[in-house]
Amino acid sequence: MTKTIAIIIIFLIAIALGILVGPTRLDSEILQLRLSRVVLGIFAGGILAFCGCLLQGLFGNPLVEPYTLGSASGAALGASLGIFLFGAISPILAFLGSLGVGFFVYTIARIEGGLLRDRLILAGVVMSFLCSSLVMIIMVLGGRELYEILYLLMGYLGIIINATNRVMIIALIAISIGLVAFLYRYHRELDIISQGTETAAGLGIDIQKFSLVVFFSSALLVGLTVSIVGAIGFVGLIIPHVSKLLFGPKHIRNLGASFLLGATFLLFADTLSRVITVYELPVGVVTSLVGVPFFIYLYKR
Amino acid sequence: MFLHRKLFVIIGCLILLGFISCAQEHTNSSYRVVSLSPAMTEMLFSLGAGDKIVGVTTYCDFPPQARKIRKVGDFSNPSIERIVALKPDLVIVNLPEQKRIKSELDKLEIKTFISSPKSLQDIYKELAAIGDTLGLRRRADSVINYMKQNIQTVRTSDRKSVYVEISPKPLITIGAATFLNDLINAAGGTNIFEDLEKDYPVVGQETVIRRNPEIIILLHPEDASGRTGWQNIQAIKNDRVFKNLNPDHLMRPGPRLVDGFRELKRIIND
Repeated sequence: MTKTIAIIIIFLIAIALGILVGPTRLDSEILQLRLSRVVLGIFAGGILAFCGCLLQGLFGNPLVEPYTLGSASGAALGASLGIFLFGAISPILAFLGSLGVGFFVYTIARIEGGLLRDRLILAGVVMSFLCSSLVMIIMVLGGRELYEILYLLMGYLGIIINATNRVMIIALIAISIGLVAFLYRYHRELDIISQGTETAAGLGIDIQKFSLVVFFSSALLVGLTVSIVGAIGFVGLIIPHVSKLLFGPKHIRNLGASFLLGATFLLFADTLSRVITVYELPVGVVTSLVGVPFFIYLYKR
Repeated sequence: MFLHRKLFVIIGCLILLGFISCAQEHTNSSYRVVSLSPAMTEMLFSLGAGDKIVGVTTYCDFPPQARKIRKVGDFSNPSIERIVALKPDLVIVNLPEQKRIKSELDKLEIKTFISSPKSLQDIYKELAAIGDTLGLRRRADSVINYMKQNIQTVRTSDRKSVYVEISPKPLITIGAATFLNDLINAAGGTNIFEDLEKDYPVVGQETVIRRNPEIIILLHPEDASGRTGWQNIQAIKNDRVFKNLNPDHLMRPGPRLVDGFRELKRIIND
């Protein structure tokens, strides 16, 4: 209980810092900007960590996350293609990229009656490489869109919100919240499956169908997130581990804690990215820069 | 007999003339230049040396004749093989963007001319230098004079603050080390990011709002209205956002900067 209160307090501190700290004095206009940035941070950090936790539970593998499964890279490829073809990030293309790569990985790893877990990661990493080289080709061909794609690949919360994208962002966030709520209800099944697939099958859970639903919903979530703030790494991989260290294996607490911790972590990282230099840094640079030492400390303790 | 001698002299003269014209043509068009810089391609044409260019990048689109020249790749990825195949006497490279290609050309001992103008003065210097290299110094001087005469500093006590946006995602603007910064100064304005040393820095929205520019110039097609948090910037409130300027008149160092300067002067002192 004290742990729960502690992470909520830290989360609130992160929000307060995200609003109060920045390169300039706070007034009503700056407040609007920082509020929208904080909302994006909570949304992106929370969802990435939530998906990481979900997938790690489903596949019983500590390395699984949106990145290693290839769906983040697929989304980035789709989004880059949108920038190249239409001059703007298209959430539909990002989602299709994420889903397409997810589908490939799934087909490669599927065997009679289940998924080969090792093959899943391998397939995911291989597809990530493929997507990266395709993105590189787009960067070389495009030239002028290079910076936009670069920031997309590293993730950036300081995007301009204007009349054309405001409605879309709100809609995407609403869809994501719906999806998170829908997936959260499966915490009990996840607990059972992460114990072992035989037990789960014995208890009458249709693993094939369940994996499919979770796998593709998380691909959708990642696609939506990437289309708004870009492919932010590290959060989805590490935060679920931190949450497990703090709260144990039960998913009812783990999923929620991952969401909160992911949001908190990304907010801290974004606040840092705004103040360490005069220039704006992509937040993805900061997440690993700060996250890795923290993670080593946590595991060595 | 007399007639014969006359004929001889005439034929002799003609032959001599032929030699001279051949020799002249020799110095003129057998010098082969590959230009990897759209701006330099423009400058060479303005010096009347367009016929010396045997290779350009896909970005070299002005003047229209430049499009007909063989392409060696785009601005950021020119192909070294295609350049070498054209057997150039001189390759014009942009630094720092084409550092890699420059070092490869150095290894092959192909002569390079470096273009990397950070100020108006740099542009004049480069024009003079390329004029010297091609033996067209006088033409170069006249282009320089044309530019200097038409880009004269406006004397004003009321300097307008200007924000130039090159890209909206992320926000990229111009710092002090750019000729566009000089151009804005000369036109009677002040770049709000003049204190940044980087040439094309990425900045945050907060800083733009805090620095509250009186004029916003967008060098990309996106709009600036309706942005969250931007509504009280002076330029937005007073409808002083300009987006229909030709970026090539402002971003490419060359004689067309004169047109860009005229537009800036009109906008800033309106």
